[in-house]
Amino acid sequence: MRLWLKKFFLRNGIVLSLYMLLVTFIWIVVMFVLPQIFMFDFSFRFNWTQIDPSKIGSPEDIYTLQHYKFLLFGSPNNPDPLNIVDVTVFGRTILAAIFVTLFDVILCYPVAYYLAHVAKGSITRLMMLSLVVPFWINELLRAFAFRILFGEEGTINNILLFLGVLNQPIDFVRENIALYTGLGYAYILLMIFPIYNAVESLDRNQIEAARDLGSPWWRIHWRVVIPFAKPGITSGCTMVFMLSAGALALPQIIGGPSSLWFTQIIYQWFNTGSNWPRGSAYAVSLMVICVILVLLIMKIFKVKFGEIGR
Amino acid sequence: MSADVTLENITVKFDDFTAVNNTDITIKGGEFFSFLGPSGCGKTTLLRVISGFQEPSQGRVLIGGNDMTGIGPNKRPTALIFQNLALFPLMTVWENIAFSLEVKGVSKTKCRKRAEELLELVAMPGQGDKMVNELSGGQRQRVAVARALAAEPEVLLLDEPLSALDLKLRQHMRTELREIQQRAGITFIYITHDQGEALTMSDRVAVMREGVIEQVEEGTKVYDKPVTAFVASFVGENNAFHGTVSNILAAKIVVSTDSGVLEASPAEGSSLKVGDKAIVFARPEAMSFVKRRNLVKNVINTEVVHQEFEGHFWHLILQGVNGLKIKMSQINDGTTEVFEEGKKIKVQIDPKLAVVLPSGPLAAE
Amino acid sequence: MSSAKFLRLVTSSYIILFFAYLFGPLIVMSITAFNSAAFPRLSPWDCFSTEWFGVLVNDARMMGGFKNSLIIGISVVFVSVPMGLAGALMLGQLSNRVRPVFYTVTISTILVPGVVLGISTLIFWDRMGMMFNAGYDSIFYDGIVLTIIGQSTFISAYTMLVFISRLQRFDPVLEEAALDLGATNIQTFRKILLPFLKPAIGSAAVLAFLASFENYNTTVFTIVSESTLTTVLASKVRYGINPSISALAVIIIGLTITAALIHEVLKRREQAREIALKKEGQVGNVKTLSRTAFRKPVTLMVLLIFVAGLSTVWMARAYDVNQCKIEVSEEKRKKQEELSKKRLLEMQKRLESQEAASANGSDSKSSKTAPGTDQYGSIFAPTNLEGQVESTEDQKENSKTPKNQYQNIFAPTNLEGQVESIEEKTEASKTPKNQYQNIFAPVNLEGQVKSEKE
Ligand SMILES: Nc1ncnc2c1ncn2[C@@H]1O[C@H](COP(=O)(O)OP(=O)(O)OP(=O)(O)O)[C@@H](O)[C@H]1O
Ligand SMILES: [Mg+2]
Repeated sequence: MRLWLKKFFLRNGIVLSLYMLLVTFIWIVVMFVLPQIFMFDFSFRFNWTQIDPSKIGSPEDIYTLQHYKFLLFGSPNNPDPLNIVDVTVFGRTILAAIFVTLFDVILCYPVAYYLAHVAKGSITRLMMLSLVVPFWINELLRAFAFRILFGEEGTINNILLFLGVLNQPIDFVRENIALYTGLGYAYILLMIFPIYNAVESLDRNQIEAARDLGSPWWRIHWRVVIPFAKPGITSGCTMVFMLSAGALALPQIIGGPSSLWFTQIIYQWFNTGSNWPRGSAYAVSLMVICVILVLLIMKIFKVKFGEIGR
Repeated sequence: MSADVTLENITVKFDDFTAVNNTDITIKGGEFFSFLGPSGCGKTTLLRVISGFQEPSQGRVLIGGNDMTGIGPNKRPTALIFQNLALFPLMTVWENIAFSLEVKGVSKTKCRKRAEELLELVAMPGQGDKMVNELSGGQRQRVAVARALAAEPEVLLLDEPLSALDLKLRQHMRTELREIQQRAGITFIYITHDQGEALTMSDRVAVMREGVIEQVEEGTKVYDKPVTAFVASFVGENNAFHGTVSNILAAKIVVSTDSGVLEASPAEGSSLKVGDKAIVFARPEAMSFVKRRNLVKNVINTEVVHQEFEGHFWHLILQGVNGLKIKMSQINDGTTEVFEEGKKIKVQIDPKLAVVLPSGPLAAE
Repeated sequence: MSSAKFLRLVTSSYIILFFAYLFGPLIVMSITAFNSAAFPRLSPWDCFSTEWFGVLVNDARMMGGFKNSLIIGISVVFVSVPMGLAGALMLGQLSNRVRPVFYTVTISTILVPGVVLGISTLIFWDRMGMMFNAGYDSIFYDGIVLTIIGQSTFISAYTMLVFISRLQRFDPVLEEAALDLGATNIQTFRKILLPFLKPAIGSAAVLAFLASFENYNTTVFTIVSESTLTTVLASKVRYGINPSISALAVIIIGLTITAALIHEVLKRREQAREIALKKEGQVGNVKTLSRTAFRKPVTLMVLLIFVAGLSTVWMARAYDVNQCKIEVSEEKRKKQEELSKKRLLEMQKRLESQEAASANGSDSKSSKTAPGTDQYGSIFAPTNLEGQVESTEDQKENSKTPKNQYQNIFAPTNLEGQVESIEEKTEASKTPKNQYQNIFAPVNLEGQVKSEKE
């Protein structure tokens, strides 16, 4: 370590070395790691700010598991064996995020392949560009667009009614169809780019060779292209899964009234519930489960973390 | 201004791998000094030690008598011409050349003027406004030299600067570099794996193998009087006859080889003893046809494989005992006969020109 | 052979569908911005109008949020670009053992849910504020500062990724060459590395600003009592929506497309130059070639957008919105009257029959309440409810009966007539749709490629 520092300073000079060390320290430690630790710590404390602010830091300010218990079992006088509302919302959020991820993989893989190996030159560039644009439109505006589309008086219902496919408008929002398509839509780019990057580096000759051997196209994809694109697919899945599990705006705006997203519950604890420690506990739980799932996926598909985000 | 460079006991290790081992050498001020060696022998590493990019694991560098330990590359009186030239692609030619002045705070007009002078020196007047990528290979090379000279170094270090050029241009640049060196009068330390380059340009040559310097001498000495088997085989072409020392005479050593008993001169300070494994090196031009029938000393039996004509030389590729490949060169004086393949001929080795060296690793073909 | 053709057909229709999915929502939303109806919708189309842009501009909360978003966005650029750069430089100098750890940690900032980042930032600085006994007006509780910090945490990772990919193409020997020529470390950084990184700095800045501007998940926690465009939008969208949001979307979409195009052109130019740097000699050729190859579609798009915008403005001038509105409401009123007349008649008929029934001496109670429940039932049916919500927003539409309205509108004859008249009036606002159709129609694509080759 000391040797490394000596080399580092020798190579970069004092000013640049200090800039690099200081700034990365502030970023990683002060802005990221410490807040996470504080949040973790906070989730084990009583909600003193609401009960009695003067008790903060006093001997009574001890650790407690009450918030995690609440997530699992509800309030002490809850007759049910579990906190049914929160636990189901939690489970449903995770499942729905997985569903959205799968939807995106299936939707995006052909497009990524098309961009990498079928489309040519400036058309590819133009398509890439058109992929980027919707991604940078405000998340809320995207949600709003989906509300216009999927509302009961929305464009899709109108079209379907007009075509005579339906004689009664469908409540897409209540059925969560709006939410899933909206979430899928939001993270298309994050799925396409990693897959594209992976697929693009595949040697075309390899595909040609497989084709010469008489493999049908689906077999070529299954045996050659997909295994090759695995790191990209996993990377895309990781990002889409994490982001959709942690989404807030879309569920708030186009989520069905009966189906909360877990982040909404967290939001409620912070906002209307005024119970930050409990909100923190919920946030920590969400993060831990998500990270475990992602690590599991990476383990199953044997992909290293360093390959993500490329 | 020129300064001498002294390497004291320099060793460079990368983890377990020793790239340069225990090197001691003094390069005189104003000298054109070359390091010659095969790829990967540690030449660049040594140069980086001198210019300050590589901290030696052991030993120290003195330039003009000053210890350079702990002094950064930007404070040393050296300028390095990189193996790939490393011209700044986002700058014009003159900005490249004047970079060392610019960072010293010299005014723009003065920078420009000096750049023009240097462009003149490297025979590229008026080309300062071009971008680097608009230059030919040879021109880039010259810009790199001009840029290095602009820093007014006392020692100029050149890392195989000509390796990317074609043969014609390379030969041209050799003479030009040599001229520039004489005009500028500064110490040149030149790295190459091309022995022709080293021999034609340098005052002295150091031959390196696997991080060790095997010989330091003038080019002619290195060629005529190699001190190790590696130097003998690496510099110029040489025929090697492996054997054992059978007798030591006043100015000659007798070695019995598969091809017969051969006499040759010992190297300077030779410590060979009877019974030692040794190699007799005979250059192609040290061989001749046996003129007198009765002569048997230093004669080997061969068979013609191939004969090549190269202007003022005839080259004969011969096969000796046990399939040993032998090359022989004859000056084309118009009398050389043309041999058919498979003809058996006797060849004589000149004991004054052949040299006996202790057995050791040879340069790879 | 035919199977290959079939496959190609399937592929291209898939791609077209995909892009329809990608742009459909945005296009529909953009069009609704020009409908004078109080609810953002395509149909029924009332009048072409740009009034919602006016409503947007006069919305003080929205504008206040917009201002804050700008301040935050620009500050985030200034924080996260140097941070990402430091991270990228650092990464290059770490030993092989530490590097993956460092990379993992920095990338985690992107993967951690935005909500969590927001919460942790909020709590951390709250605690810090408590530790320093700072008041609630200090920076520890300043929503804007907290938001800048919270957002920069993960946006720095974005910028870092941009710098990493650029630095991979940097030849470190150039730095050594500069040092060797006597430059100090800082001079080397400024004169060699920074010029090389310049395009990446531009990209990173654009990326950082966009990411900040559109962020909601982190911001909603860290903003405390202030508001940004996204938080204002969120509350607006949640409690009733109106087309001024579509108008905002039109503006943002326009700006984003422009930014993306400019960025793309710059990137192209940079790449062309880099290719040229590698290929000595034929610089000029390479540059012009690759530039024109891209310029055509881009200029085409820019031109189309420009024309669309211009014609929109022109249309808006030439055309009297109020006139149209009066007509539409008049039409509605007429329909309304007819309907109520009809209803009245029906009611009368019913009453008559009821009276007849009661006169016949059957159970009068149940049959009397029947019409009443009927009515309520229809009001609370999902369709009607929405209609009602809407009608409260628009006084003129207040008295209509939702169900009947639908029937009328979707009677094929009526609709077609309406659509036609709309198309005549609003050609301008439809151009975007046509434009995309043009670009992505395979026939045209091929034509374009050909013309580029020429
Ligand atoms: N930074 C380094 N880390 C580890 N090993 C290195 C490093 N730099 C050089 N080496 C090793 O040291 C040895 C000498 O390298 P050097 O670059 O000095 O060779 P060279 O003589 O210049 O060869 P060439 O003629 O091909 O340029 C090589 O085996 C190389 O692999
Ligand atoms: Mg080298």
